[in-house]
Amino acid sequence: MEHTIRTKIMTTINKRMKTYASEVVNLVKAQVNREYTVKEIKTNDDELKNFLFTLGCYEGETVTVLSVLGENYVVSVKDSRYCIDRDLAEAIIV
Amino acid sequence: MKVALTGNPNSGKTSLFNAITGKIEHVGNWAGVTIEKKEGEIKRSLSGRDTFITSVDLPGAYSMSPFTSEENITKDYIKNENPDVIINVVDASNLSRSLFFTTQLLELGIPVVVALNKSDLNKKKQTVINVVELSQKLGCPVVETVSSGNNNGMEKLISSVVAVKYKKQSSPFDSSGVNIADKREVEASDRKRFELVKNIVSEVEHRQVRSSRQTRQDAVDRVLAHKWFGVLIFAVVMWGVFSISQTYLGPLVADTFVGWIDSFRGWVDGLIGKGVSPVLSSILLDGIIGGVGAVVGFLPLIMVLFFLLALLEDCGYMARVAVVMDMFFKRVGLSGKSIIPMIIGTGCAIPGVMATRTIKNERQRRTTAMLTPFMPCGAKLPVIALFAGVFFNDSAWVGTSMYFVGIALIIVGALLVVRITGEKNAKSYFIMELPEYKFPSIKRAVMEMLSRAEAFVIKAGTVILLCNTVVQIMQTFNWKLQIVAQGAEETSILASIASPVAILLIPLGFGVWQLVAAAITGFIAKENVVGTLAVVYGITNFIDTEELALVEGATDVASVMGLSSVAALAYLMFNLFTPPCFAAIGAMNAELDNKKWLWGGIAFQLGMGYFVAFFTYQIGTLITTGALGNGLLPGLIAICAMVGYVIYLMRVRKSIPSIKIGLSG
Amino acid sequence: MGDVLLILIISAIVASAIAKIVIEKRKGNKCIGCPHSQTSGCGCGCIHSKLRTNKI
Repeated sequence: MEHTIRTKIMTTINKRMKTYASEVVNLVKAQVNREYTVKEIKTNDDELKNFLFTLGCYEGETVTVLSVLGENYVVSVKDSRYCIDRDLAEAIIV
Repeated sequence: MKVALTGNPNSGKTSLFNAITGKIEHVGNWAGVTIEKKEGEIKRSLSGRDTFITSVDLPGAYSMSPFTSEENITKDYIKNENPDVIINVVDASNLSRSLFFTTQLLELGIPVVVALNKSDLNKKKQTVINVVELSQKLGCPVVETVSSGNNNGMEKLISSVVAVKYKKQSSPFDSSGVNIADKREVEASDRKRFELVKNIVSEVEHRQVRSSRQTRQDAVDRVLAHKWFGVLIFAVVMWGVFSISQTYLGPLVADTFVGWIDSFRGWVDGLIGKGVSPVLSSILLDGIIGGVGAVVGFLPLIMVLFFLLALLEDCGYMARVAVVMDMFFKRVGLSGKSIIPMIIGTGCAIPGVMATRTIKNERQRRTTAMLTPFMPCGAKLPVIALFAGVFFNDSAWVGTSMYFVGIALIIVGALLVVRITGEKNAKSYFIMELPEYKFPSIKRAVMEMLSRAEAFVIKAGTVILLCNTVVQIMQTFNWKLQIVAQGAEETSILASIASPVAILLIPLGFGVWQLVAAAITGFIAKENVVGTLAVVYGITNFIDTEELALVEGATDVASVMGLSSVAALAYLMFNLFTPPCFAAIGAMNAELDNKKWLWGGIAFQLGMGYFVAFFTYQIGTLITTGALGNGLLPGLIAICAMVGYVIYLMRVRKSIPSIKIGLSG
Repeated sequence: MGDVLLILIISAIVASAIAKIVIEKRKGNKCIGCPHSQTSGCGCGCIHSKLRTNKI
């Protein structure tokens, strides 16, 4: 009984620590003009993922936010400039 | 010998295609794709001996992914048609992305020649590519090309193509062991592919300017695509374009042009002489020459306008416009993606409607298809120009405001659709490639202008000519096939058909059968409005209205038509914002693929046109004369009925969820 | 005499217009006013964009 409670407490503490340690940053929260490495594309849309892949936007590749135009973000991926909206920027986790 | 041309979107394939075949296909500065393949014969001067080489311009592809749900023309073509050689057009300023597709092509076993296109842009940015080494690493010839210019590289390109014809193609990357049905394996293989590309690029390319840094271009973008400034700038730009085409340059050229048409008519008149039946001579002089002449008289204005629009588009500005509008569109459940079909719609609504295929979300796609016709298209220009000229002294504000009213109606329409179908929270991702700003190609703009002009003249000489002839006949005879006497025009066939409909339009300020007849013929082709008006009022020269007064003996065209400026504006809006033409309705039918949406769309367009014209007329008359226009009450009743129905639809959606399925399914 | 001539001329003009339309339809031209109607989703006018390979 004691053992289970302790395990439970440890698991919760570990979880909390993980959340604080790796705060999820997507392109919306990213700094302008700084190169980031894509960690994940968070979306259920496979076609979108595929498309982004062909542009060179996938895990391990670099992306930079060049400027912010209202609700839209101008990003640079593999030497090309694209304008994406907030929804899409939120899906690109760096 | 069959050569296939392919490569990333916006890599310059079509320009290259034009350069080697001498054809004039259409090019855009969007990451645009040709929807279907285009074939052409390569110029003899390039292919040397008497070899007949056909080149096929395929749609741009980023990759040959097995997972895209739509059919891939490029992949199918290559698999089915077995070209002898593939020319892979690669954007030299973007090797890291472009070579992905290249490596896939190299694996097909067909000899490939890489056309390293847009090399001139690279020179400007001081990016150097070691072409020899690249060629070695890929295992295929690489030729630097600049497709807009003096055939730079074309000869070398074609001779490489011919030289490589029967050779075996090796590939630097081998994905033959990958099971394409397994997504993970494909993904892993694709990643390795990208790694290979990265390695090649790092050894072969040397950049001075890092692309992941802000440049002056970004600073410009910040202004042009700014939330508020962007719209203002867009308005000013459009006004400028209209100003030049409708107020200054256009009419200047048109004057002379119309003068020739008039002389021609006079000459024919003299030739015919007095001894022939007036009916026949009238058909020829007024119906055919007069009617078509009236429409064709606007050709210079249209040409100038399209020339300017081509310049705008070529320099890369239009992509920024899409970004600016995205913000407004998002509020009504659309995205900036919807702007693209609408901008195409400024040329012609039909390809605009078809371009909605690229929008994934069903509701957004259908909404856009239904609303695209609200953008004034090329055929509507003569109508705008006519009324701007006759009633508003060629003011550029008329045209410009019509475009903005169109946009406003689109926004309202989108909002209504959202309220009726209820689907608001679908995530729709907007992504638009922002091409580098460049100095627009004058040559390209001229070619675009000429091709539009040719199409316009052909349309005038066929559809419009026939319509005018029919209208002329219908207005000359009555149902008993007797000639209608002077002053008894109401008994003509034309009048008897148009008059009943005219009653419905009295509240809008133009319940006159002539105008109604013109509007009806407008459904066959919008230019017919001008043509029919010319026939029905016996006016052939709408451009130089002063001289017209002398010729016709009327005080001015305005009084001939019997319209106040306000009523004229209402009439103009009615013609612009109702369903454009049967061909466009046909396109809508094809894209909407759902009878409910189709009829809803048509009804909406008719309703909107009526609504806008009604309020313009009534309120305008109130403001200018202090009294209300004719037919206020019946019109109001009609409007209330329409509005009531729309509100009913919105309420119904809330209470019965099944309607939503019906409308969005 | 003059009348007959006129009728002939008018008929000739009308006939050639109809003929031209029929020929275009056979070629597959969907809209006569469109410069490139060989392609089904053409970019009529100077501004085209079809990000066809991706539906977003």
